[in-house]
Amino acid sequence: MGPKQKGGGAKQRGNAADEVEETLQAVVLADTFETRFEPFTLDKPRCLLPLANTPLIEYTLEFLANAGVEDVFLYGGAHSGQLEKYINASKWRSLSSPFKQLTFLKSTSTSVGDVMRDLDGKHLITGDFIVVSGDVISNLPIEGALASHRARRVANKDAIMTMVLREAGRNHRTKSSSTSPVFIIDPTKDRCLHYEEIDHHSSDSNRLNIDTEIILSHQELDIRQDLIDCSIDICTPDVLSLWSDSFDYQTPRKQFLYGVLKDYELNGKTIHTYIVKDYYAARVRNLKAYDAISKDILSRWAYPLCPDTNLLPGHNYELRKGNLYQEQGVTLARSCVIGRRTVIGQGTSIGDKATVKDTVLGRNCKIGKNVTLDGAYIWDGAVIGDGTTVRHAIVADNVQVGSNCTVEPGALLSFGTKIADSMTISEGKRITNAYREEEDGVPDTDPEVVGEGGEGYEYIPYEDDEDESDTESNASSGLVYNMAQLSLSTDSISTLSSETSDYGISRSGSFSSTGGDEDEQDHFVHDAATSVYDSLRDDVTSDVVQLELVSLRMTANASDNQVRRAVVSAFMKRIAQLIEGGKAAGEAVRQIFGKYREIVERSLFDREKDAKPDQVDLLLLLQQDLVHRSRGDMVLLFLAKELYDLEIIDEEAYEQWWDDERSSSTEEMRQVRSQTQQFVEWLANAEEEESSEEDDDDEESDEE
Amino acid sequence: MPSTSVALTPGLASFLKSLKTNPIDTSIDNLISLLKRRQIRHSRSCATATAYLLLRVISACRTTDAAKLIERVQSVGRRLVAAQPREMVVGNIVRRVLGLIRDEAEDDREADFNLSEAGSESQPQTPRVPDDHSDSLSGRFEGSDRSSSRPPLSQPAPITMFSLLSHPEPEASLPGTPASASPSGKMLGHTPSKDIRAEVLEGVNEIIDELGQVDDQIAAYALDHIHSNEIILTHTSSTTVQKFLLKAAAKRKFTVIHAESYPNNHEATHATVSGNSTGDDEILSTESFQKPLIALGITVILIPDSAVFALMSRVNKVILGTHSVLANGGLVASAGTRVIARAAKVHQTPVVVVSGVYKLSPVYPFDFDSLIEYGDAGKVIGYEDGDLVDQIDVQNPLYDYVPAELIDLYITNLGGHAPSYLYRIVSDHYRKEDINF
Repeated sequence: MGPKQKGGGAKQRGNAADEVEETLQAVVLADTFETRFEPFTLDKPRCLLPLANTPLIEYTLEFLANAGVEDVFLYGGAHSGQLEKYINASKWRSLSSPFKQLTFLKSTSTSVGDVMRDLDGKHLITGDFIVVSGDVISNLPIEGALASHRARRVANKDAIMTMVLREAGRNHRTKSSSTSPVFIIDPTKDRCLHYEEIDHHSSDSNRLNIDTEIILSHQELDIRQDLIDCSIDICTPDVLSLWSDSFDYQTPRKQFLYGVLKDYELNGKTIHTYIVKDYYAARVRNLKAYDAISKDILSRWAYPLCPDTNLLPGHNYELRKGNLYQEQGVTLARSCVIGRRTVIGQGTSIGDKATVKDTVLGRNCKIGKNVTLDGAYIWDGAVIGDGTTVRHAIVADNVQVGSNCTVEPGALLSFGTKIADSMTISEGKRITNAYREEEDGVPDTDPEVVGEGGEGYEYIPYEDDEDESDTESNASSGLVYNMAQLSLSTDSISTLSSETSDYGISRSGSFSSTGGDEDEQDHFVHDAATSVYDSLRDDVTSDVVQLELVSLRMTANASDNQVRRAVVSAFMKRIAQLIEGGKAAGEAVRQIFGKYREIVERSLFDREKDAKPDQVDLLLLLQQDLVHRSRGDMVLLFLAKELYDLEIIDEEAYEQWWDDERSSSTEEMRQVRSQTQQFVEWLANAEEEESSEEDDDDEESDEE
Repeated sequence: MPSTSVALTPGLASFLKSLKTNPIDTSIDNLISLLKRRQIRHSRSCATATAYLLLRVISACRTTDAAKLIERVQSVGRRLVAAQPREMVVGNIVRRVLGLIRDEAEDDREADFNLSEAGSESQPQTPRVPDDHSDSLSGRFEGSDRSSSRPPLSQPAPITMFSLLSHPEPEASLPGTPASASPSGKMLGHTPSKDIRAEVLEGVNEIIDELGQVDDQIAAYALDHIHSNEIILTHTSSTTVQKFLLKAAAKRKFTVIHAESYPNNHEATHATVSGNSTGDDEILSTESFQKPLIALGITVILIPDSAVFALMSRVNKVILGTHSVLANGGLVASAGTRVIARAAKVHQTPVVVVSGVYKLSPVYPFDFDSLIEYGDAGKVIGYEDGDLVDQIDVQNPLYDYVPAELIDLYITNLGGHAPSYLYRIVSDHYRKEDINF
């Protein structure tokens, strides 16, 4: 907190500095580091996907403009080039933009946590700010929430965050159906006391674990599951420093919110809620929400965010009877039937006897004769051949669907694919034409799927790179259009975390059924890391720490890998703290690892074997942790040397680690380990000498 | 903190504040987005914002040429109207400003004709000296003309054979090609054209003043229409109606039945009736100090909209506010107005509409469905009712179209008019070449 405010104050930012209190800042997370919109997000950033023919980001920026925000920081993730180009060409960059400042920040972040830590490092935030993801749609005037946030903060500076939540009853199309966030709130103070996500698909986690302390110390508790979490948060700068302190948090809800609430005893920070009853607020968190929110917008629940508001310059939608929105220059055949809740963009033509209802048609689409469109989302420039039926499916830009095809519910046809005549795209199929670098080669067009003369192949998400540390909710395993077959994965696009995430726990069985376990595992890592870290700071002897760790591990039934993760994060945090306190890196490493050597040793179980997976894992974890720290490369070198000297890690393990592709998977990982290269080379040489000695004396190498 | 939060949300106040400092194009875009986002709504706010913006546009427009000025105002006006076609007052204000410019240009020319006629008819190419003289003359004529926005009918000088013959010509050539204007156009030179701009600015300022005073002017007619012990029915929280009733309440005792206009305006209506208006509405904010009717000892009965028909038999007079008035006398007014007007017709109760002249639009309603705006469905049915939201389509029209035959009298700031007389006011205020600008 200290450095933050100093940093913020020292940074004089022209006109905005004149009225620090007045300027409202906002951070837009344009990438939420999820893959729920694949295969579309293979080609386009998710916030540029059109919702009712307007890119998602427009709604979010519109919301911020409505709220009177003046400084906007936009964090791009995947495809940030496209996004930047779009933003630069948009009205938000023009002179008349309601934002005084719109800063596009690029980062190599792989999670929301990284973004927040990056933001903290940049010292851009001067006061209270709003965090929204780039897919929020809301007509809520924020001042009510802001006023109550400010009033609370004046009364108590530990009230660091206010979450805006929309009440939505028991069943609601816009709520996620597979997981529901549960907020436990003290209604007298609007304070959120506990947060958990319930996964409806898993049988064993249909319960909450509420701390008895919470029940005992509060007169009144609301346990609410009827809220749409639209992820609009009003934060104080303290939030950023909390993110920075908790280096292992990645998601804003499941980890950050849960963690901060859990550690109330430690940090004393409180998080509050602002529950909205009469405005529209929702987030396009997955394709099911995309469908629901499109309907909401067409039915004018989000008024004035309607197609006929014409948010984008150049749009000229007009409202006709029956929620039919039509732009000028639409060609409709005399015998076509246009039903309710339909949007038709400029230049689109619809052929004879076609039936269109509940459908969004982009610009310049060509719909043939006798076509039936029901609940379809057809983006710009798509061509649908005569006699084709499309129900509840998404057809992206410039897709060509031949004549007499059937596109069944839940099918997703991504950009530029081509479907030959008389094909049937079965339920829930995703077809893409995108080049995927992970694939062995460019996958060729699959004629089985798209027919002769078609283009595209079926997109199969990788089941195995789901990352348990990501995903703010398993919500996205929600079903698109209520189809059981079409579950959406929640994996992170982060290559780094997904590659290092095959951490031991076997992830067999369906994704949803392991969800509950993961929660506990994550909590274990977090709890254990906190506990070990506290012990290190208080200079407790290693026996005591070990005892505590073992008991925690027994309770949570954690894997060895989890224990190592906990230990590594605690150790590294302490070391980083010592270094910041003025100690030399080497000395800090020696102090911690010397004193608590036993703890590390007892998390490794491969001393006697040839392959050293545990030690390699430890090194990888260390390396990964150091990626985010200052002078990580130096510290890693000292660590390597120290661990070797202490005989915690054997030479073989170093070699295996160095050769392990995970350790050199990304640029950052390579950079961090660059300094250590000399050490590893020296080790290899030493070993060679040793092995020559070995001829003379077999026992020596064992000792070493 | 409340002060910061009030200043936070953009609206009319913040727009007017920013108007002075921002470049002109920014202000135009700014108003367009405010209109689109419905952050400026209500006829008066829209009219005020438009008038101030046009004031800026004209004063920033460095041209000396009336035709160029007209073109500029037209292009700005088109963009504003396209942003929110249902706020008809925006178009009205633009048309009035256009009319002002045309009047000025013509007055100038006519004055000039007068002069050349009086001086030497045979010499159109008058030397410089008498031209200066014409300046002062034309200035004087304009000064006298300003008081009414119509072309001077009583002035004897222009009604000569020459001006009658030459009259159609400048009118036709004015909008398009200034160069082809009569020789006097060239002769006018710099100074008089500058004068046009100043005169137009003054005229726009007059429009702005009119917007400020309109309610009081209308209220001045209140005593002619409200009599003691009458029962008056009204609807919505319109400030025009409130001021009208308040004025009458100062002298007479009567009873008001107030329909609450659920769901789009009931909160404001309740606040108006009980006098707790919070000033959230930007137009109300200046008048929020005003005492409610009950403070003056008037009995006000708040009823749900559904009870209107049942009570209509006891009502002596219906007084309605409106969103805009169309050329045929039809109204676009808050939803529920038509039901009230219809019920009044059945009971032969007189229906009086109070409205500023600025709401009177020269648009003829060929397709009145397109004039009606549909609002937030969530006000009718709670969005949290998931099952309903999924199954049904909710329509929440913000406005009703009320046909002219249901209305007996219009009271504007110019006085009371019968529906059949409205065309006359329209033709007085708007030039026919501006109706489809």
